Amino acid sequence: MIDLSFIYQALGRLIPCPCMEARFMQQALLGLLLLAPMAATMGVHVVNHRMAFFSDAVSHTAFTGVAIGLILGLNPDWTMVVFALVFGLGIMVVQRRSSLSVDTVIGVFFSAGIAFGLAVVSRDRSAAVEAQTFLYGDILTLDDPELTMLLLLFVFLFVFMWFGYNRLLYIGLHPALAQTHRVRVRLYQYVYAALLALVVIFSVRTVGMLLVTAMLVVPAAAARNFARSAGRMFWWANLIGVSSAVAGLLISAQNWANTATGATVILVACLWFVVSALVAWRRTRRQ
Amino acid sequence: MSHEPAVEFDQLTVRLEGMTVLDRVTAMVPRHGCTAIVGPNGAGKTTLLLALLGQIPFTGQVRFSGGRPGRAVRMGYVPQRLSFDRGMPITVIEFLVMGLQNLPLWMGLSKNCRRRAQHHLQSVHGEDLANRHLGALSGGEMQRILLALALQQEPELLVLDEAAAGVDFQGEQLFCELLESLRQERRFTQLMVSHDLAMVMAHASHVICLKGRVTGEGCPHQVMNSDVLASTFGPHMGVVDRRSLMSVAEEKKCECARNHNR
Repeated sequence: MIDLSFIYQALGRLIPCPCMEARFMQQALLGLLLLAPMAATMGVHVVNHRMAFFSDAVSHTAFTGVAIGLILGLNPDWTMVVFALVFGLGIMVVQRRSSLSVDTVIGVFFSAGIAFGLAVVSRDRSAAVEAQTFLYGDILTLDDPELTMLLLLFVFLFVFMWFGYNRLLYIGLHPALAQTHRVRVRLYQYVYAALLALVVIFSVRTVGMLLVTAMLVVPAAAARNFARSAGRMFWWANLIGVSSAVAGLLISAQNWANTATGATVILVACLWFVVSALVAWRRTRRQ
Repeated sequence: MSHEPAVEFDQLTVRLEGMTVLDRVTAMVPRHGCTAIVGPNGAGKTTLLLALLGQIPFTGQVRFSGGRPGRAVRMGYVPQRLSFDRGMPITVIEFLVMGLQNLPLWMGLSKNCRRRAQHHLQSVHGEDLANRHLGALSGGEMQRILLALALQQEPELLVLDEAAAGVDFQGEQLFCELLESLRQERRFTQLMVSHDLAMVMAHASHVICLKGRVTGEGCPHQVMNSDVLASTFGPHMGVVDRRSLMSVAEEKKCECARNHNR
């Protein structure tokens, strides 16, 4: 296991705020600094590929993964991740092979996943308590193994994005055109679906399943209003995602606020969106 | 135009959801020529292109010839339309560069890729569109940008799916002339789906008439007679005289020449 304490200390010094002296706050900040750029970057493609429903479906199956863990006597944190991965790839396999629309395929998977989770929860009361944790999320309980996993995911995702960002944009605009022009559409679609499922399931721990889609979509949607090119949209989405995450964490820790961190992060991102909409409106009026 | 085939469809059959869309289609596309696929709605024109592009399953064979040994034929594709979020902030130059450049767009555009993209823009008379937003382009401009994107592949076979649909008469004419000059200059084989029979008479060197199966194939001036038109489009088209189509085609050419002179 990687020793992350030097990063925690650095983060504690970086933000000289009394609330950042606690280790769990430093861990939460690290978690958000890893998750927010991943969510923002994936969000650009979620908007381009019109896959918001996909992320919603994956997030809602979090407690199904937990339920499977409880049934099989395995660590629910891991079964949740594995189930999300299988679920996300399953949607992509069926979507590619079926003539059904994307929404319909996701809807069927979504319903089956939720129904299974609810069936298990209705039998086992302890699972019901666990499910509630996933509804609202709790970034303050992230531990070292989870942060190490996030760090590895972060590295893999940005290495993939370095080589695949342009290809994914191409596929989002017209998959057949991209394939004819020698882009390996199938490979990129599967890797993207797997990474999106992983980012979503880790985000569930942060903001809860009800707000995961917002974490992906809101920074990208605000970036779309600010940016004038696809390159700048990436930077805007990351700026908005990271600043919302840091501000949301700090605000939620103040005594006068005392709010859920995940919800506060999303509220700050929504504020960004309002500003971006005003900027876009003003720009349109000038034109 | 060579008489050697660039593409051969051999007994190609496509069944989609239990329905036979294409039934044992056997036809060829001559190398370096301009081949048009014509037929009524639902005749399977786009399906034939999708089978050629490997986008749908089929039985039978599609044979390519003329590519360099040991390497697949390079294809460029101009789709009928690009359905995307028109508010997405992507510029024309980024759209062209994203297929050329490995470096992600957020790290900027490399000089070499930018130069290549601008060269292809120039070849479709679109150099002034480089910094425009993709979503702000008119139908005719978008069509030229999609053509530039296809040309970047340095295609041996250029496939166009009703690329001129939704463009006005003059825009369509200019697009066809641009294609013709590019084809002569770069020596690619052109295969296009079209609804405009006069345009086919004016520009195509080979035609495949389709109505689920091949109803006629060959030189447009010989193939597009009353019988073939009737069996392809129905009895009402059988009364259209080939000469009237040719005269419309001639008129189109003259109109375009006048516009150029202006």
